[in-house]
Amino acid sequence: MAAKKLRRARLSQELCERLSRHQITTCQDFLCLSLLDLMKVTGQSYGNVQKLLCKVSLACAPKMQTAYEMKVRRAVNPSSAFLSTSLHGLDKVLHGGVPCGSLTEITSPPGCGKTQFCIMMSVLATLPISMGGLNGAVIYIDTESAFSAERLVEIAGNRFPAYFDSDEKLFSMTCSVYLYRELTCGSVLKRIKSLEEEIISKKVKLIIIDSVASVVRKEFDTKLQGNLTERSNFLARGASLLKYLAEEFSIPVILTNQITTRLSNGPAIQADLVSPADDLSLSEGASGGRKRESGCVTAALGNTWSHSVNTRLILQYHDLPTRQIRVAKSPVAPFSTFFYTIEKSGFVLQDGKDQTNLTWEGTSPALQNIKVRNTALKDLLPDAALPRTTDETPSNASSLQKGKCNLD
Amino acid sequence: MQRDVGSLPLAPALRARLVAAGFQTAQEVLETGPCGLSKEIGISKEEALEALQVVRQECHSDATRTAGAPGTSRKCTALELLEQEQAQGFIITFCSALDNVLGGGVQLTKITEICGAPGVGKTQLCMQLAVDVQIPECFGGLAGEAVFIDTEGSFMVDRVVDIAAACVQHCQLIAEAHQEEDHLKALETFSLESILSHIYYFRCRDYTELLAEVYLLPDFLSEHSKVRLVVIDGIAFPFRHDFEDLSLRTRLLNGLAQQLIIIANDHKAAVVLTNQMTTRIGQSQSTLVPALGESWGHAATVRLIFHWDNNQRLATLYKSPSQKESTIPYHITPHGFRDVQPPAVTQNPEGTEMNPRKRLRREEEK
Repeated sequence: MAAKKLRRARLSQELCERLSRHQITTCQDFLCLSLLDLMKVTGQSYGNVQKLLCKVSLACAPKMQTAYEMKVRRAVNPSSAFLSTSLHGLDKVLHGGVPCGSLTEITSPPGCGKTQFCIMMSVLATLPISMGGLNGAVIYIDTESAFSAERLVEIAGNRFPAYFDSDEKLFSMTCSVYLYRELTCGSVLKRIKSLEEEIISKKVKLIIIDSVASVVRKEFDTKLQGNLTERSNFLARGASLLKYLAEEFSIPVILTNQITTRLSNGPAIQADLVSPADDLSLSEGASGGRKRESGCVTAALGNTWSHSVNTRLILQYHDLPTRQIRVAKSPVAPFSTFFYTIEKSGFVLQDGKDQTNLTWEGTSPALQNIKVRNTALKDLLPDAALPRTTDETPSNASSLQKGKCNLD
Repeated sequence: MQRDVGSLPLAPALRARLVAAGFQTAQEVLETGPCGLSKEIGISKEEALEALQVVRQECHSDATRTAGAPGTSRKCTALELLEQEQAQGFIITFCSALDNVLGGGVQLTKITEICGAPGVGKTQLCMQLAVDVQIPECFGGLAGEAVFIDTEGSFMVDRVVDIAAACVQHCQLIAEAHQEEDHLKALETFSLESILSHIYYFRCRDYTELLAEVYLLPDFLSEHSKVRLVVIDGIAFPFRHDFEDLSLRTRLLNGLAQQLIIIANDHKAAVVLTNQMTTRIGQSQSTLVPALGESWGHAATVRLIFHWDNNQRLATLYKSPSQKESTIPYHITPHGFRDVQPPAVTQNPEGTEMNPRKRLRREEEK
């Protein structure tokens, strides 16, 4: 809308020519000028310039709808409002499932199940509407090369054995999942920009980006000056493009994020790449020599990104093999926790006596503490070597296990 | 009448010609008449007539301004203002602690800014206010309508339905307790459907659409004269990326702020903006500060900052011309924005309404 040429805003031809001589061709340029500048540039009187402003604004302004119309539209077509995750408790709390038209983020330590969740959602999106799916294609942008087609088929076959009873059904499901491997921030952004046409032509109903954090953290070292703003710019631009796609086509967008360690009063460092057994003071640079701060593990990518996503789900370890899925930020759901395990059929919620909607005292989604995996290393190394902060453990061992999609 | 020609709101080229032809004051232009004007400066008779009309209008409004006619003048005594302010209502937030801190609620004709970390409840409060502004007058509300301009896409209709249903229920409880006729009559029109129909929603995808919408807002508000609340949820989001030219951003934001102040005053509406927080990296610490820079801090009249203290949400009144700075806790419940404790005064039935919320939490814990 912003790039709309003034010609199409019904301004007269000679006025458009006159404006283009001053390099004002789009509505955006026009609206960015002050009234005096506009008078100078158009050569019109004050009253006329105001009328022109109204005309141009009418051409760009969004349409009005009342909240009632929105509600009616959703009531008429309930499946267009969310994508059910097939996890009953989670769906109930989220008022139906992953919401359409907004960004949902899954954050977790490595090996907790982000990619599994994404693969499971891909299967669900291809299901027909009668089974709770969206009957559409899936665009899967993979930046870590973690997508496994075998796992996709395994989940489909085990979760819905009655539906995927023949090879053709499996085949047609896999044909609807379009995988793109992008390895740099620039290529991810380019891919997102090109998605608009693909969504229409391929009838896409779900976009997954796994993961946003890995490309961003590879390319932007936040300790270098200027990189922080560039990184925020990239994230903000990506977020607004994805929001536009999500709303325009009313589809859910799922993104995955990593974790970082936030020290009590410093900027967050990429500490899941640094084992806490390393001397943290070394990586702090000039302020080393401080007593080791107790840090907490939180979602990565910073504050601005936490603003941009609409829903945040945190996966974390509990007692292996049980893990927890928490709703940390949602405009419709309170803070809730569920326990799950990863089986052949994907995620399985644990039903049990303590399983109803456990509300927990949550805090700011950007600062929410996340439990990292407590691996057997505790037995191997003497306790003194590991800094004893509440939940921090070395996470590199777990990333070794992740490759095998370990289900112990 | 003695106004200088260069200050008249005519087209610049025309002004230049008048000055070049030797005209100095508006009086001279008016005396010449259209035909003489067209001959002297070489424009068509129609253009000359138009110009004369503009000049005449300007001089007329100048004259009435100096004569102090009440219609066009904007000055009044402080006593009149006091009476106006006291007669004006507030938009309650359903959290009595926050209402007390604000001096009664969100004030009309002022810009209130809500800053906060992600997920702390800014959009929740905006949705609550959009419902609360519609409460009928006999229940203590303003019986107004709301405009909701969304730039972040976090407006969820389902949530508004929940909040509105709770609000209607609250009013029904009051009506049952008081059993007055006008209460019952008001309840007939105060239903879920009517609440939702009077929230006018605009989704602005980038700052151009936001600018365009704010330009058109005065006309919209003149058509829908019952609007008493304009919410812009996410004034920071469209301005925080893709802006290499920060001075342009400051200028646009200032322009927006001015237009919003004019809208708030002319239409007796409250303007509520939400802002994000950004990290300011200091020497050894990083702190969260409201986004959009220091100069934006001047735009709002009242500034609220929402933040977390471990697991409790807190609201701090950071800037206000009339109230003291203070911090209060609040909760977001399935019914909307609420207090943490039920209010101390238990004589009015509002006290009994707060308990259902508390009861609800205990049920969830079971």
